Amino acid sequence: MTAATVTGSPTAADAAASAPGRRRRRLRPARAFLHAFLIATCVVWIAPVLYALYTSLRPYADTAKDGYVSVGGHYNLGNYTNAWNEADLPLYFKNSAIITIPALLITLWLASMVAFVVARHSFKFNLLMLMIFTAGNLLPQQAIITPLYKLYITIPLPSWLSDSGHLDDSFFGLILIHVAFQTGFCVFVLSNFMRTVPNEITEAARVDGASEWRQYRQVVLPLCRPALAALATLEFTWIYNDFFWATVLMQTGSNRPITAALNNLTGQFFTDNNLIAAASMIVAIPTLVVFFALQKQFVSGLTLGANKG
Amino acid sequence: MTFQLGSSGTFLPVERVYLTMAGVIYEDASCVYPGAERPAVDKLNLDIQDGEFLVLVGPSGCGKSTSLRMLAGLEEVTSGEIRIGERDVTNLPPKDRDIAMVFQNYALYPHMTVADNMGFALKIAGTPKAEIRAKVEEAAKLLELTEYLGRKPKALSGGQRQRVAMGRAIVREPKVFLMDEPLSNLDAKLRVQTRTQIASLQRRLGITTVYVTHDQVEAMTMGDRVAVLKDGLLQQCDTPRAMYEKPANVFVAGFIGSPAMNLIEAPIADGGVDFDGAIVPIDRETLARAEGSTVTVGVRPESFDLQTDGSQGGIKVQVNVVEELGADAFAYGTAKANGKDVDVIVRVDARNTPAKGEDLYVVPKAGETHVFASGSGARIS
Repeated sequence: MTAATVTGSPTAADAAASAPGRRRRRLRPARAFLHAFLIATCVVWIAPVLYALYTSLRPYADTAKDGYVSVGGHYNLGNYTNAWNEADLPLYFKNSAIITIPALLITLWLASMVAFVVARHSFKFNLLMLMIFTAGNLLPQQAIITPLYKLYITIPLPSWLSDSGHLDDSFFGLILIHVAFQTGFCVFVLSNFMRTVPNEITEAARVDGASEWRQYRQVVLPLCRPALAALATLEFTWIYNDFFWATVLMQTGSNRPITAALNNLTGQFFTDNNLIAAASMIVAIPTLVVFFALQKQFVSGLTLGANKG
Repeated sequence: MTFQLGSSGTFLPVERVYLTMAGVIYEDASCVYPGAERPAVDKLNLDIQDGEFLVLVGPSGCGKSTSLRMLAGLEEVTSGEIRIGERDVTNLPPKDRDIAMVFQNYALYPHMTVADNMGFALKIAGTPKAEIRAKVEEAAKLLELTEYLGRKPKALSGGQRQRVAMGRAIVREPKVFLMDEPLSNLDAKLRVQTRTQIASLQRRLGITTVYVTHDQVEAMTMGDRVAVLKDGLLQQCDTPRAMYEKPANVFVAGFIGSPAMNLIEAPIADGGVDFDGAIVPIDRETLARAEGSTVTVGVRPESFDLQTDGSQGGIKVQVNVVEELGADAFAYGTAKANGKDVDVIVRVDARNTPAKGEDLYVVPKAGETHVFASGSGARIS
């Protein structure tokens, strides 16, 4: 797109490209530069991942002998089985699930309700509320960890909710912190999306006798599926990948999520980088699964057909 | 609803079964938007009869949609009252008004099938599923939508979507139908077709209908009565024929009728008004009611008699453009009045059209001249 804008009328360029038998488009410097830039960015982005993948397939003995930047030796999945068994990954996957899934669902549920009210009604405090939500999102988490931690260790929880008896060192506490920090962003995105749903649709629902709740639940929410899917993917990645809150607010090692558990593979004097690379690869899989599962929900124009079209 | 099988294949006759029908009364109903200087609708008074088809018409921004939305409960009534039947609905929410609305852009629920769209209101009302299905199927049959019941709106054409929106209203069996420019998104041919279908459907169902349009042809062809609004004020409410023959003021005169009525301001002369030397006779009582030295004379394009030459005292019109419509032809030209050039439209014989640049000599037919006061624009003839 940038190239087309730089090199002239995009329609003319498209027409030239689509017409068979016509002279191929001349390679313009701007276009060449753009592609070089894109390829470079792509390589920079993917190189560490590929390097980690390559390393994870080699036993430690080979890399210790030839160095990490080398070819040859053995290639197998030994590191993967080791990581799975030694690092107790199933347990930590379970911990991650206990934290991520409720946090994700509660965040989206709360955010969509707030967004519905903000987008569909004009109260005086709407703008202020959005501003507070967005501003809260901009606060660096590291800056407020000390007061938060102090709060967490003083707030008592019943024992069925927390083994420690406090908000600190409990799954509930971690879920709460994720919900608190992610809701603002989700409200921002969802309220903007809901504004694009034609007002006539909710008016029709009102005339049909739908209550506010029903308008939210049965009319607006189903139309927000593309936005919810996009947010779910993003939020899943963010919450699942969290390392900071998990290490600070969860002291019991066996209750930490999988990102923190990777740390357990690091020895005090010796670190098997091949093993960690393999574990990292395993840890990355759920994010990919979520992305591919929700990808087909990213269809634009779900409201197509509501209006004249 | 009961159906009798018709042979025509189009809409089947439906027995009139809505026993609890009702008229609509607007009493000094006003709507002022917050921050607006003048009301969007200013003291509207309308008495819509039981089973009547009333069309609200006017240019954009005249308050016609707002009036309808006030009746629907989507817009607050700032002062005054609206009654449906005997019931004061001024402050009731939309769902308690027993109305159904067809929106300009149809406002179908995109994630629901046609059947679910049509049955949504009944579902909310807690109607048993079997009954909903029966009602939806009946309405679908009436609107020829049966084969599309399982489809989503995006898989329908514009005309079909429009019919689903109609169906959604019919299924409810409301006291009043509200329609907000429901045909404006259809192409010209389909619009004319659907126009007739809606009008005949309304007559068969016998449900009081308030219909908003900016298209005066729609208003004239569909309405039992037509109400013309301008700047939030009701200008006139009458049958299409009466409105055409006796417009209450200059605005209605210019708005109703296509092509528009010629409205020319001309000085009063002895026994009539003076068109640059040609005297158009107007009776004395009418001229006595004039407010100044001029009046606005209105003549419809078909109300002119053509003369062969300038010797008979006709108004000279120089033809600029001729529009041929097949059955009719209209000559658009320039005449002189009050020392200025004015545009004049004259209906001419379609088989004998004047050439561009040619001069026509015309006189208004006796008794078909409308006279309005120059200042207020009110009718004085």
